[in-house]
Amino acid sequence: MSNERKPLPIVEVLNLRKRYRSTEALRGISFSIGKGEIVGFLGPNGAGKSTTLRILSGLVAADSGEAKVCGVDLAEEEGEVREHIGYLAENNPLPEDFRVIEYLKYRASLKGLKGSRKRERIKSVLEICDLERKISEKRIGNLSKGFRQRVGIADSLLAEPRLIILDEPTIGLDPRQSAITRKMMERLRGEVSFILSSHILSEVEACCDRMIILSHGLIVAEGTLVELQKKFIQSVAFEIVSKAKKIELQRSVRKIDPQCELLQDDPVEITGRRRFTFNCSKGQETVELILRTLLEGNNFEISEFQVCRPDLETIFLKATKQNWQEMDLLGRGKNKIPKPQN
Amino acid sequence: MIKGYWVILRFELFALFVSPATYVASFYFLALLGVGFRFFIESFVLTDWILPPLASLVVGLIFGAPALIPFLTMRSFAEERRLGTLETLMSAPVSNLGIVLGKWTASYLFFIFITLASFCFPLIISFWFPEQAESLGFDKMEQWVGTLTFLLIFGASFSSVGIFASSVTNNQMVAGMLTFTLLTLYLSVMMFYFGENIDSQFTNGPAQLFWSCFGAIFGGLNKMQYFSVGIIDIPTVLYQLVVTFYFLILASTQIDQVKK
Repeated sequence: MSNERKPLPIVEVLNLRKRYRSTEALRGISFSIGKGEIVGFLGPNGAGKSTTLRILSGLVAADSGEAKVCGVDLAEEEGEVREHIGYLAENNPLPEDFRVIEYLKYRASLKGLKGSRKRERIKSVLEICDLERKISEKRIGNLSKGFRQRVGIADSLLAEPRLIILDEPTIGLDPRQSAITRKMMERLRGEVSFILSSHILSEVEACCDRMIILSHGLIVAEGTLVELQKKFIQSVAFEIVSKAKKIELQRSVRKIDPQCELLQDDPVEITGRRRFTFNCSKGQETVELILRTLLEGNNFEISEFQVCRPDLETIFLKATKQNWQEMDLLGRGKNKIPKPQN
Repeated sequence: MIKGYWVILRFELFALFVSPATYVASFYFLALLGVGFRFFIESFVLTDWILPPLASLVVGLIFGAPALIPFLTMRSFAEERRLGTLETLMSAPVSNLGIVLGKWTASYLFFIFITLASFCFPLIISFWFPEQAESLGFDKMEQWVGTLTFLLIFGASFSSVGIFASSVTNNQMVAGMLTFTLLTLYLSVMMFYFGENIDSQFTNGPAQLFWSCFGAIFGGLNKMQYFSVGIIDIPTVLYQLVVTFYFLILASTQIDQVKK
């Protein structure tokens, strides 16, 4: 097993830096993305997400550091890198005067597609993006925001790229249209790597394998949702629906974990039961022990038990808040900026 | 090096041919040129014009260019920058030079189309009034070749100035005004030195070299007398090519700035 070769990552970024006049947009970020992975790029406005994506798509040059896409160095073979990438820019700019089909034909030609392969790919992306014939004959200027976004995504899929970069693909879309975008990514999962930048955390949580959280040009968190939950949320919240009295239940719980805190106590409609929410700082194992003890006790008539997993929003706020605090604590002096992670 | 050139050229030509603004500009330009040519031919015998009558078309097209060229070039980069589609275009595997050359060739081809359309006026006269056409010298092939060459080389440099102006702003109107201003200035300087031998003031040294280059580029109108009788002045062709490439390289550099 140890001799097995690890597949080459699709994206490799090492100590990437970018400065716009007095603003340091990226302060030496490093990460990698594997084949078929869907990675969510999160961060507050001005965190450096779009700059990173623009560097990776060859639109902006980095000041220093190394960025490789499909093993090709961006600084050396920028043109070749673009052949492996499908890019949907923020706000998805499109020419208004052209029909969808004309535009896709033009983009396919630009990407080097010819003849039957060109026709085949256009047909395929129209189908993937749910752009039926009637829509494909319309002028782009007459399309709704959702359809325009789908045209942009169809364009990014045209040349069968190995990496697709989507910068805010669902911004301004209704839930149905956002679901179509997610469905499209699901369809291509495993074949193509995706980098998805979004402010809609529920969407990233739903479709990304891994998240990278940026703040002030630094990566402040990286990993799967479970890894981030473990890293940032040490305490575990759990809910118990029971007929037990509050004091008795609390006493039993505190016998196992004296620090366990009752957060909420709400009645459950007309059942006469109550929903108790506790917060345990000792982790999942202690919570399981508490449940076993309560069930063995038989006095509490527990009808429901649930561990509340912290969502991405909680993790995001915690990760970025930590970075913001550091920035404020250390001041804005040039020498007091936190060191980048490598 | 010029990856994407043909695709961009086809797309830009298509954009020019579907744009109503181009047709309106071309129609008014050709109509005014036609009316001017008609009156010139009618009153030709009363004037002390020393060049062949065909050269009057060249004068009309060259001095009308500051009004025509902006319509052909102002959209090319300014509109793409305004809409943000330049970024989408640059995310495809195409080179900057391919983009610039593709856009320039499209507007230049449209200029050639208008030039050829304007040459239909003397052709119509030759067809309907062959005797008058012969007396005006319209039957001399060398005059046709010379005047057409003169227009083609100046059209190339004028449209490259328009492409450069379009690459520096994201406002079509500003791009149009800038093209008009630059071409008017260029023509004004050429008019100022019309009939003078600029490079004869110095006989040697760097000053002579400077004035020689200056004279070659800004004394272009002086050479019209050669071209109009069918003598192709190769240095003038080369100097206009230099001006063309200079502005196209400037436009390409300007596009490169977007990456910084």
